[in-house]
Amino acid sequence: MPTPYTRTEAPPAAPGARPRLERPLAGRWLGGVCVGIAEHLGMPVKGIRWAFVILVVLGGGLPAYLFLWAVTPESRTVTALDPASGAPAPVVGRALAGLQRSRQGALVATGVLVAAVGALIALQAVGLDVRASLLVPLLLVAAGAVVVWSDLDAAGRARALDGAGSGQRGIVWLRIGLGVTLAIIGLTVIATRGSSPSVVVDSLLASLAVLLGLIIIAAPWALRLWTNARQEQEAAARANERADIAAHLHDSVLQTLALIQRRASDPAAVTTLARSQERELRSWLYGASVGHDETLAAAIASVSHEVEDLTSVPVELVVTGDRPMEEHGVALARALREALLNATRHGQPPVTAYVEIGPGGVEAFVRDRGTGFDLDAVPEDRLGVRQSILGRMERHGGSARVRRREDGTEVELTLPALEGAHA
Amino acid sequence: MSQPIRVVLVDDHRMFRSGVRSELAEEAADGIEIVGEAPDVETAVSVIKAEQPDVVLLDVHLPGGLGHGGVDVLRGCVAQESQRGEPIRFLALSVSDAAEDVIAVIRAGARGYVTKTINSTDLATAIRRVAEGDAVFSPRLAGFVLDAFGAAAGEIAEVDEELDRLSAREREVMRLIARGYQYKEVAKELFISIKTVETHVSSVLRKLQLSSRHELTTWAMGRKLI
Repeated sequence: MPTPYTRTEAPPAAPGARPRLERPLAGRWLGGVCVGIAEHLGMPVKGIRWAFVILVVLGGGLPAYLFLWAVTPESRTVTALDPASGAPAPVVGRALAGLQRSRQGALVATGVLVAAVGALIALQAVGLDVRASLLVPLLLVAAGAVVVWSDLDAAGRARALDGAGSGQRGIVWLRIGLGVTLAIIGLTVIATRGSSPSVVVDSLLASLAVLLGLIIIAAPWALRLWTNARQEQEAAARANERADIAAHLHDSVLQTLALIQRRASDPAAVTTLARSQERELRSWLYGASVGHDETLAAAIASVSHEVEDLTSVPVELVVTGDRPMEEHGVALARALREALLNATRHGQPPVTAYVEIGPGGVEAFVRDRGTGFDLDAVPEDRLGVRQSILGRMERHGGSARVRRREDGTEVELTLPALEGAHA
Repeated sequence: MSQPIRVVLVDDHRMFRSGVRSELAEEAADGIEIVGEAPDVETAVSVIKAEQPDVVLLDVHLPGGLGHGGVDVLRGCVAQESQRGEPIRFLALSVSDAAEDVIAVIRAGARGYVTKTINSTDLATAIRRVAEGDAVFSPRLAGFVLDAFGAAAGEIAEVDEELDRLSAREREVMRLIARGYQYKEVAKELFISIKTVETHVSSVLRKLQLSSRHELTTWAMGRKLI
C-alpha cells in the first residue's frame, strides 16, 4: 500500500526519508512489484524476489503479488535511480530497457505457469489429490485477468512515456480477447466440474449469451460515459488554452498598458511602448517571425525593430521576397541597420525602408524626410557612413549610394544574386 | 470642389471613430464632412444606403454580417450611388497587415487601403483622392502587390492590358510607393505627371481586383471569398 506520508515528488530520497511505494519501469522483471518494495524498504531486490518465489510455492504468494501489482501505482517519474549504474542514464532508453526485461520476465512467468499446470496434472494422474480440477481453472482465470490488466498497465505506461512504445490497437484487442477467453474457459470449467461435455458446451454458450446481453445493456451507458469524459477533456483543453491566452495578454498587453499610463507625459516613450507591444502581439497572433534570423527578410525585420526600440522613431518597413541568410545578407542587414539609425537620428520621420529580394539580387532603400547631409562634407575619419555602409557593401560585391533629395535623404543598398541561384 | 466630401465612418471602436472625427475636423475643416457612423455590418449598410455618401472609411474587421467584416459591407452596398450620382468609394482602414485581409477588401471593391496609424493630413489626402475615383496605396499594399504579381521576382507583362502581371511602368510606380514616395514624388522621379501616376495606380488596382493570379486567389480564399 502506498504510505500517505511519503507523498512527495522527490524520488531520490534524502537519507532517512522513505521513497514512495511505486513500481518503477527500470529494473523490473514482471510488474515491478519486487523492485518497488525493495526501493521502498531499502532492502536488496534479490531477497524480496526469493521471498515471493517461496511464498508462491507455499501458496498465497501469487494473490499477494497480484494484489500489490494492482494497487501500487506505476512510477510516473521515470527517473528512478538505477541501482546498477547509479548514474542517471537516458530516461526513456532505460525505461525501454526495463520493459524489454519485463517482456522476458513475462515469458519466464508464462513458462513457470505452464510447468505448474503440467505438474498439477501429473500429480493428479499419479493419484495425489491436489484438487487440480479446481486449481487449473482458477489459474486460467488468473492468467486471463493478468493478460487484460497488463494491457491497462501498458496503456498507462505509453502515456507516461509520451507515445514511446505505445501498443498497436490490434495487439490491444488481441490481448483483451485472449484474456476474456481464458477467464470464460476457467469459469466455465469451475462451474461445470464433473459434468458431461454437452453440459459444458451448453453452459459455455449460456455464459457467452449472458456476457453478450450485458454488453448490449451496458453499451449506451458506457458510450455516454466515454463521450462525457471526452467532452470534459475537450473543455479542459479549451480552458487551458484560454488560460494561456489570458496569461500572455497579462504578461504583455496589460503590462504595457500599465507602463503607458505611468509614462503618459512622455509621448516618445508611449509611442515606443505601443509600437513594440503591437509588434510583439502581431507576431504572436500571426506567428510571423518564427524563423528568427534564418532568412534575410526575418533578419531585416528584426534589425528594423531593433532600431525602432533604440531610437523611438517608427520605421515603416516593406519587404518583398526572401532568401536564405548568408554572409552577404548579414552584411546587408548590418548596413541597413546603420542606414536606419542615421535616418532616425539625423532625418525626420516618417522613415521608410523598402527591401526587394529578387532573383536578380537585393535592393534596399532607406528614406527619411530630414534636411539630409552631404557625403563629401563628412570627414574622412567618420566611420558611420563610409565604413559601415559604403565599405561594407562594396566588400560584399554590392554597392551603396546616398541620394540627397529636397525633402530628405535616401540610401540605396544593393547586393548581387546568390551564386548558384538562377538569375 | 464646391460641395464637401460626405464621409461615413465604419469602425467598431467608438474611440477610434471619435478620434478620426476630431482629427479630420481639425485638419480639414473645409471639404470633408462626416455624415454618419456605424459600428457593425448591418448598421453600416443601412447608414450608407440612407446617407448616400461619397466615401466610406471602412474597417476591415467588423462584427456582424456573415463574419467577413468589411467585405460584407462592400457586398451589401453593391451598385449604391452617392448623392452626386457617382459610385460610392470605399477606403479600407485596418490595423491588420495580414495580406489576406488587405487583398480581400481590395478584391471586394475598396479603392484603397491605409493603416490606422496614418496621420490626419495623409488621411484627408487619401479621402480626397478616393473621392475623385483614384486609388490609394500604402507602401505596404504596394509591397503586397509587387509580391503577389511576381513583379519583385522580375515578372513583367508584355502587354499593358495583361491582368496577371504588372507592366514595367506600373512596377516602377509600385516600387516607388513601397519606398515611401508620395504620388507627386513618384511623378517627379519618373518624369511623368501626377495624373499619369494616378492612372498607373488605378490600373494596378483594377488588376488587383480582376486578376485570377494564383497568389491573389489563395489570399482571397483565406477569407473564404471564393
